[in-house]
Amino acid sequence: MSSRKINKLLLLSPAKALGTNTAISTTSTTFIRGKRTSSKKKTSTLSPAAQRAVTQLSVLSASRKQPKLLKLCNEDLIKHQTIQTCWSEYQKSLREERANRLELQYEAMNEAMELLQEIAPDLYALANEGDESNASKKKRFPLEIRVPTDYPPSNIWYYDYKPEVSNDKK
Amino acid sequence: MLFTRSLATKVTKPSVIESAIILSRTPIITQQPSKLESTYCAYQRELERRLMWTFPQYYYFKRGTLAERKFLALQRGPVSKLPGVFYSKGVPDVRGNRERNAAQEIVLPLEQQSEDDPNESDSASSSHNINRRILPNSRITKADECGDLKSLERRLDKNLYLIVKSNKTGEWSFPSFLQNSKCKILHEIAESGLRELGGDKINTWTISTKPCKALVNGEKVTFFIKSHILAGKFEPKTEALEFAWVAKDELKEKVGDKYYEAIGFLLN
Repeated sequence: MSSRKINKLLLLSPAKALGTNTAISTTSTTFIRGKRTSSKKKTSTLSPAAQRAVTQLSVLSASRKQPKLLKLCNEDLIKHQTIQTCWSEYQKSLREERANRLELQYEAMNEAMELLQEIAPDLYALANEGDESNASKKKRFPLEIRVPTDYPPSNIWYYDYKPEVSNDKK
Repeated sequence: MLFTRSLATKVTKPSVIESAIILSRTPIITQQPSKLESTYCAYQRELERRLMWTFPQYYYFKRGTLAERKFLALQRGPVSKLPGVFYSKGVPDVRGNRERNAAQEIVLPLEQQSEDDPNESDSASSSHNINRRILPNSRITKADECGDLKSLERRLDKNLYLIVKSNKTGEWSFPSFLQNSKCKILHEIAESGLRELGGDKINTWTISTKPCKALVNGEKVTFFIKSHILAGKFEPKTEALEFAWVAKDELKEKVGDKYYEAIGFLLN
């Protein structure tokens, strides 16, 4: 009950204040939040609106938000460079390994296809025809395949898969 | 390379065509970073934090709101510079309520969480309670703990490959099937053979109709077809058949050295 009363009071008070204000508002100037302009020692000759823009810009300016530049001593600099070199070497080794493996895979595929052409030309033609033969049945990337996440889902694997029954059999 | 072009000039051409399937389960979780990777990432993160601009608190918390008050109450604030004081970590250079010589420490107000232990037993309400604590699932599964090679839920961060043990020779290899009257095309032999061996409740996606490798063994030539398992399970129809889902490093131990040398580079 008491809180309600307070609320009522609060609701009433601005109305009262408005009533008193009407008399004053005729004489008062417009208030601007910003740098004090009516100070005795006037340094800036900017208008209050311009001054306010300057104040807002200085809040946004980079110089107030930037940290100090890192000044590394020689030893730290060498350490940093060593770390960076190590990382780029590591990345390079990974890259080369991958490129090497891809090249081997390509070679193996090429050799397999050449052998297939020699042994069974009909199979070779069918393998080459492959996915592109039927435009409506063109091979698409499966939607079911998952992108790896940091933690596994609650249901890790979908087990009860039932193969689709083709329509003409029904 | 076991197969070279010189074979073409030989008198005996391989006449028996066999199709093997490299069935893989793609990783479910991201790879565990190595020690070097995680150390480097931590170093870079610290550097980035040190060179970060001052957190624009006025952008995220409106002035005079309760949220701002909560946020400000949690901040420790910088040490101010006073005359005649020795500062062990260097004279503070404070600007915009931030010590410019170090990374800015920001404490974010967390949502109110129940102080009771997270493992409380009202499981019925816990899944509906939106304020419940988020607990990620373990990266190590039950199958990892009991070393169950037949489970698809093991080694979640690696590619798993299906290998079977041959009844005749007792050697592990990828399942391979001879060309028969029903199917002729290589990838069809592999797909139908897999279903004959392990039931048809399996969803696979064959990457290409072209073989990725040919392995010549005397009269017999084996073409390898790559495929992914998307759903379902490999359940052998005959119980005698031994199979395993293994990662590349385990596969190396299971199959013979000669076989691994020939096909190792095909795997990830």
